[in-house]
Amino acid sequence: MFSQYFGHYLLNRGLITREQLADALEYQKTVHVKFGVIAVDEGFMTTAQVEEVHEKQRQMDKRFGEIAVELGYLTESQVEALISHQKQSHLYLAQALVDREYMTIDEFGAALNEYKKENSLSDEQFEAIRNGNIDALVQQLLVSDEEKAAKYGRYLSLFAKNMIRFIDDQVYLEVSEDNNITPSNWLIKQDIIGAAPLFTGISTDDQTLLYIASIYAEEELTQVDAFAKDAVSEFLNLHNGIYLVNMSNWGTELNMNPQQIIENASISGELFTVNVVTAKGTFQLVLSDDTTNIKIESAAGTQTV
Amino acid sequence: MKQNLKVLICDDSILIRKKLRSVLEKCKIEEIIEAENGVIAVELAKEHNPDLIFMDIVMPDKDGIEALKDIKAFNSETKVVMASSAGTSDHLKEALANGAFDFIQKPISLESVTLLIEKVLKEESANV
Repeated sequence: MFSQYFGHYLLNRGLITREQLADALEYQKTVHVKFGVIAVDEGFMTTAQVEEVHEKQRQMDKRFGEIAVELGYLTESQVEALISHQKQSHLYLAQALVDREYMTIDEFGAALNEYKKENSLSDEQFEAIRNGNIDALVQQLLVSDEEKAAKYGRYLSLFAKNMIRFIDDQVYLEVSEDNNITPSNWLIKQDIIGAAPLFTGISTDDQTLLYIASIYAEEELTQVDAFAKDAVSEFLNLHNGIYLVNMSNWGTELNMNPQQIIENASISGELFTVNVVTAKGTFQLVLSDDTTNIKIESAAGTQTV
Repeated sequence: MKQNLKVLICDDSILIRKKLRSVLEKCKIEEIIEAENGVIAVELAKEHNPDLIFMDIVMPDKDGIEALKDIKAFNSETKVVMASSAGTSDHLKEALANGAFDFIQKPISLESVTLLIEKVLKEESANV
């Protein structure tokens, strides 16, 4: 998942284009991460040393690690560490970007350091994020707003985990500044009620709805019919149910109302909106703890939640 | 030992009804009835007298706990299994206090349903 975040960071900084990112993310699935890329990424070797090892590899039939140890650039334990790090997802992105010649290893390394610095990440935090720790990643997403982190952090973290578990392991979340949701094709909403009430909704277009529905229902759906809408609605219900169980374990008993599906709905109020970018389109996760002041307008009329 | 259980699935989700039906069919259950809310479930339970009911909790019109109470009121022998994603301690306590046979947490797995069917069959044969 980190590769999605870091990929979008590179995109937002203008270091790569949207097309290059999409291509690299697709290409990374088939990529074999080379030792040299990891060694530079870990800070064990310089690019010049990697080049030197590559040069020697051309002359002799030996593994990268063996040569690097012989040259005194790596210790045996560093080689072992590199082998275990070979599966980290962001490295696949690094290798994909390098293979496709969108960036050099040096540029990738520099951007990674810049990301760390800009986000004021400690080594431990960065390690946690890099290793796919969702809680750390969501915490980072909400770092600029303590109030929102306190209100929505747990919910969002669980949502990210459930998206990965049930829908799309390459999902990317970004906080939207938008306080109004303009009409999308579908709003699927569910109210959590009790001591800590929460409005929850998924606002989506047809294409993204079909993508989520198809994966969750485990069959290819091509029509936005009652079954497809039900599948997305059931995903929200499942996630909210798990949230209720977690909250119950933390001592807060909550309940929830049945889900509702509203066509062409716009929502206003004190909203916290997160853009959820999937492989086949973006939907918005809409949350609000100010549940009494939410207005939903649709073709069927205005309703106050 | 009784082999053919009559099972009623009550869930407002079309997807869940479909998935649960497919799991039950894999468990060789032949007679399966479906209801989309608590009101219909109570009517169908009266009409068909099922051996086992899978009951969702959060549903429109009549929720699963209310339906459980109504069903138990006219036939205390019916085994009602609550199947919900919201397996909070409050829900569990309320369901068991009102005579639920068991509780399964969604997402529903073939394994959990198989174990449950075995448990029901064992009890049925013990009662014969």
